[in-house]
This record gives sequence, C-alpha cells and structure tokens, in this order.
Amino acid sequence: MFRRTTSRPAAADQTTGLNRRNFLKGLSLAGVGGAALSSSLLGDLNLKAGVKAAEGEPIPVGGAVPITGWAAADGIEFQRGLEMACEDINAMGGILGRQLKPVFEDTKEQGADNIIPAIQRLIDRHKVHAIINGYNTGAVTAEYDTVADSGVIYMHHNTDIVHHDTVGKNPDRYFSIFMNDPAEYWYGKGLLKFLNGLGDSGQWKRPNNKIAIVTGSQNYSVVIANAIRDNAKEFGWDVSLYETVVVPISEWGPTLQKLRNDPPACIAVTHWVPQDLAQFCIQFKPNPTNSLVYMQYGPSLAAFREIGKENTNGVLYSTVVASLQDEIGTEFNNRYKAKFGASASPLAGAQAYDPTFMWAIASAVSGGSGGPGEIDQNKKVSNVLRRMIYRGTLGTTKYFLPEQAAIPYPDATKDPSLGMPHQYLQIQDFTKEPALIAPAPYETSTFQMPPWIKA
Amino acid sequence: MLSLFNPSNQLGRPSSLRLDLSVGLPLLAFLAIIPIFAPSNYLIGQLILFFLWGTVVTQWNLVFGVGGIFSLAQMALFAFGGFVTGIIGLYLGWSLWAALPLAGFGSVLFSLLVGLACLRLRGPYVALLTLAIAQVMYLLIITDTDCFYMEGVTCRNFTGGTRGLAKYGDFGFRDLLGAKWAIGHYYMGLVMLVLSTIMSIAIIRGPLGLAFRALRDNPAYALARGLDRFKYQLFVFAMSAFFTGIAGGVYAGHFKVIGANVLYLSLLLFLLAMMIVGGMGRVWGPILGAAALMLADEALKDYVEWRNIGLGIVIALFAMLWPQGIVGALETVWARLKRRLRGDGATAT
Repeated sequence: MFRRTTSRPAAADQTTGLNRRNFLKGLSLAGVGGAALSSSLLGDLNLKAGVKAAEGEPIPVGGAVPITGWAAADGIEFQRGLEMACEDINAMGGILGRQLKPVFEDTKEQGADNIIPAIQRLIDRHKVHAIINGYNTGAVTAEYDTVADSGVIYMHHNTDIVHHDTVGKNPDRYFSIFMNDPAEYWYGKGLLKFLNGLGDSGQWKRPNNKIAIVTGSQNYSVVIANAIRDNAKEFGWDVSLYETVVVPISEWGPTLQKLRNDPPACIAVTHWVPQDLAQFCIQFKPNPTNSLVYMQYGPSLAAFREIGKENTNGVLYSTVVASLQDEIGTEFNNRYKAKFGASASPLAGAQAYDPTFMWAIASAVSGGSGGPGEIDQNKKVSNVLRRMIYRGTLGTTKYFLPEQAAIPYPDATKDPSLGMPHQYLQIQDFTKEPALIAPAPYETSTFQMPPWIKA
Repeated sequence: MLSLFNPSNQLGRPSSLRLDLSVGLPLLAFLAIIPIFAPSNYLIGQLILFFLWGTVVTQWNLVFGVGGIFSLAQMALFAFGGFVTGIIGLYLGWSLWAALPLAGFGSVLFSLLVGLACLRLRGPYVALLTLAIAQVMYLLIITDTDCFYMEGVTCRNFTGGTRGLAKYGDFGFRDLLGAKWAIGHYYMGLVMLVLSTIMSIAIIRGPLGLAFRALRDNPAYALARGLDRFKYQLFVFAMSAFFTGIAGGVYAGHFKVIGANVLYLSLLLFLLAMMIVGGMGRVWGPILGAAALMLADEALKDYVEWRNIGLGIVIALFAMLWPQGIVGALETVWARLKRRLRGDGATAT
C-alpha cells in the first residue's frame, strides 16, 4: 500500500500524458460550477432528449449527514449544498426530465451504528439513486458494504486514506463508491512541497532545515503528522520535534518551551480544533520563534480568528476541499450566502453541490440514473464518473483509478486541469477572509512574511 | 425522580414463570418469523440494533434495577467485549466466533476488577467511579496515537484510536447467505437476547433475586442471616458482564468496526432511559423500554430538529408520571382492575 500510494504522483502524472483527443473529450464532460459549461451540458443533454422542464417522476437523492451531534454545523451546510444543487439541476430539466428530490437521514454522532442505518434507510425507505455526503468519520468504510449491496452511487468527502485501500483492492464490488476529495495523507506531502516552493520562489528563506510537528490525538491529525514526518527527508527537512498533545488543549506552555529551546524553520500543528489552535497563537506570539506556523483546518473557521484576533495574522493553513475564490467559486459563494444567509458556509456546502452535478451529468450521459438493485444502470453511470473531469466550485475533480478518489493538485499532478487544488491560505488580516496564496493559477494573493519573523 | 432510585421501587412484584412464558414465547415466535416476510434490510438492521441494546439493558437492569448498584460502566463492558473481539480477529486472525466467548469472559474479568474497586462504595459514588472508568477507557482509546503497525502509508494504532478498529473480518454470513447476510446476524442477535433474558429471569426469580429482595426489605435481618451484600453484588455484576461483552462482540462483528463512539455519554443516557421508560428491576421492563424508545426515535426521524427534544420530553414524562416505567404502570393498572373486578363480584353476591 505504501508503495502504491507513494507512486500516486507517478500514476497521476501519467494522466497528464493524456493525448489531446482524450483531454478534449474529458473537457467536454467538465462543468463550470453549475453556472456555465456543466449547466449547458446538462441542459443540452436534456434538450436532446426533448426535455424542456423537469416534470417526470422525481428521482430521490440522499444525504446521510450529521444534522445533530458534534458535526451538525457542517452537516447543515452539506444539506443545503445538496438542496441547492437539486434546485439548480431541476431548473435545467433535471436528469432527462426527471426532477431530483433530496432526502436526508441524520448520522448523529457519526458512529458506525449511526451511519450504516442512516444509509440503509436512504436505500430501503427512500429508494435513493445516489447518496451524496460531506464527511462521516466513524464507519471506516464499513458502510461501503451496505452501499455495495444496493449498487447505488455513493459520493463522499471522508478525506480518508482507508478509502484507497478498500476500493483499490476490490474495485468491482465497490464500483459505485467515490471519494470526492483527496485523502488526508496528501496534506503531509503537500505541506513539504509548499514550503520548498516558498523557498524556491524566494518568498521565504528558511533559517534551518528543521520542522517541528505537533499533532493532536485524532487519527486525522496523526495521519497528516506521520505523512510529514515520513516524507521530510525526501524534501530536505529534518524533524526536530514530534509531539503528541492530548486534546482538547488550552495550555501550550510545555510544547512552546520545547519549540523555543530548539527553534525550527516551520511549526506544523496538525491538531485541528479552532479554539485550541487560537490558544496556541495567543501563547506563541509574546515570545515567538523565527518559524512559519502552519495549522490544520481550524484557521478556516471564523471562530479561530475571533478568539486569536491579531495573534493569528501570518498563520498558514490548507484545505484539500473548499470552494475556490475565483469567478466560479465566488459566484457560487455569493449565491449560497444570498440563499442561506451571510453566516452560511459555502466552503462546506460546495462539497455536496459539485458531486451532485457530476452524478446528474453522468446519469444523463448514461441514459438515466439507477435505483437500488439496478446494478447495470449504476455501472454505466459509474463508468462515466470514472472517466469524468469536472470543473466546479471546488476546482477540478478527477479520480485516481481504480481507487476512485480525487487527485490532488499539485501534490499528485502538475496539471491544474487534472486535480483538485490543495489550497494554501494565509491569515493576513484577522478581520478579513483568509488570502488564497497557492497553488497557481488559483491564488488571489501572495505570501506575506508573518509579523513575528525577523528578517 | 428520587423515587426512581428508591430500592423499594427497583424490584417489581415477582410474577410467575407462567407469566414470563406467556409473554416471552409469543414474542419469540413473532420475532422468529419476521425474516420470513422478507422485510427491508433497514428493518432487519434496526431489529438487530434492538437485540443488541435489549441485551445490554437487560443485563444492566440486573445490576442497576435488581442489585441496586448505580453502575454506569455497562457500555465500558460492552466496549471491552467489542474491542476484545476486534483485537483477537485482527491481530491473531481468529474467527470472530472463537473470539466471542473470550469477549464474554474477558468482560467478566474486567467487571470483577471494576466491581472490586467500586462495590465498597455506595450510591452516587459508585456512579461517579464507574463513569470515570468508562471515561478513562474512552480517553485511552482516543489518545492511542502510537503506531502499532503500518498499513501502507497509514499508521495503525493498537485500538484503532479515534478512527476505530476495523478490518478484523465478520461472522461469515456474507459468504454463507450472500445478499441475505443480515438474516444471519438477526438470528444471532435474537438468540443472544433470548439467552440473556433467560439469565435475567433466572436471577430475578431465583435465590439471587430473593437475596436482593431480602436485603432491600429488611437489611438488618438479611445480614443477620448471613447474606453478604458485597458478595452478591459482585456476583451479579460479573454475571451481567458476560452477555454485555458478548453483545459488544456481536456489535463489532455486525458493523465490522468498533470505536470509542460506543462510550459516548449520549448513547449511555439513551440506554439508561430505556430502563427508566420500560421499568427498572422488572424482567420485561428493559426490553419494552428498548422497543419503546427505539420506536419513538424512529417516529421522530422525520423531524430531526425535534427528535432530541421529543425524546427528552418522553423521558421526562416517564420520570415524573410513571417512575416505575411502562411495566410498573401496567402492573398498577392490572392490580386496580383486579381489585375492581373483585369488588364488583362482592357487590353482585
């Protein structure tokens, strides 16, 4: 598995070797965030089928989302994203004239005993043709068998390297299951690549080759921390500290003391809870080291900036799945906020929006979607999805095969038209939205030296 | 609310074996034929969950309702059984069938340790200590971040950490029954619930139940006759752990993953509510409570935003109006009806 996954960049690079004909064929399936090309493609397909408005028998499409429980804030956005996608698709004539009808089941605390019954209920009771989710963390792909038994399309954003192993080893059984974001593993390699890029472009000169890794106790954090540690040598870095903190944590004194005793060029905190990370910034700032500070996920949430205030200025973070700040992403973000309110988070909502379009297009190309048990039809839809290159609010979605997981750019492919951008952002002014500083060509701002770093 | 924890309410009126049979056998027959009608996989899945939670609360009832031990360690025992099953399956490569008995006996040993530590305490102190044990177990699992082995690029922790333990196999029903594999788990769960209920009946109606009743009704006399509260409580604590551990193992085999989420306080309180709603200390109370709360949960699934509030109201109503639960309320109604019938008869003559 190690060899296979580390060879992913090579595998993905092979995709860059697609000939012009295949590339254009791929582009013909690409959409533009429900706004332009995808709309016209879906609309064209509907028009060719003689459909003017969606009026056929509705197609149920399900979301197994955490409407209650600790992830409810994101769960509501996943729900909204799917609802908005269904409305937009229905306005274009649905799938060959059949309207989409979103239905939802609550995955509560996201344990296996919550997720699997929720998915089973979507299949048995609602007879959904597809299940399109954000993330559910607790089933460790155990829900795949429930989906595979029915054959319906299942697209999720679990950000889980286990998906590669499960689907890669048994692609025939799990033909209908797609992970629409890159696995958490890519955060590790991506960070090292990003740091070297900053050095190569002259934006930052590292004072030494040391990187300190501070991880929380959750697996997500640990996988990322280990990926940084295990790949550091390859990218010319030495791990000066690998510290596991017990979370939640508000007292960072002992960890900071270790960092101050042996200052690294970069501090990578892979723990993700925003209030904990904000506390790190507050306690780090009075006596900082000459280090870049990179953090995981938490800085993307407003709570991080609200708690940490000016202490968060200069902090770097990244995400492998978020709506872009380009024309397509901004248009989506504005429409989303206009529909659901200024406090709504299109970043999470986009996770359900893009895959719904992908599935709708694939179904229309395949002559219709398939319900539970309609294996042959769902295989046709799945085959189109596997070949699809889709340009949406999240950037480009294209899958590793046979794993059926999104390829990250530039971590695994050098071609931005063939991978989902692993976005690097920096908080430059805590009163404003973070600035997207990489990767090209999506960046909207440039890296700024953190205020605590002395030239 | 206090009346819930009044020992005088914890033991229902002993009903005869005939009553148990007249309730249990039709129920068993009904549950046994359900798969014949080819219900949806969802219904089968929910009934398997009912068997699992029914088993746990039936055993917890022996400790909490019958033994008067305010233990909150039941889900820790459940998790212990689940993790033993998963760990044996994953690291030793054993069949989960072979791991199940070890899950049961392992949980018994674990419960003896917990019992020795906490049964010399009383009331809320037992609750606090057992809850602390469950929380320590939770923390030990989620802070297990050391690489026990590498699977490709993924670091695997011994307990699975926050991700949970998986990929240890299953009970083999997928190979045996194909798409109907859940039916195998269904009958497995049903057998487990039946056996745990038989054990519950044997304890409540047998000498152990009598001993607890004696300790409740006249502690001084019971002690003078040589009844050792600690010994009996430890015994019932260990007995109840066996099927709880087995249930944990069945859960692990059914869902193919076992994680720290089974130790969430929300699930513990949901199961505790099943006992309260059904009627603590009674044979059929926990099973009825499990069915009632799972049905209420199901009915409220289309009103997600209101589900937790709805469940809270149901539980609060029972705690205030029917503190002895559904079975206790039925017993009261039956007793009144009998009195009235007897009174009517006297008037007629």
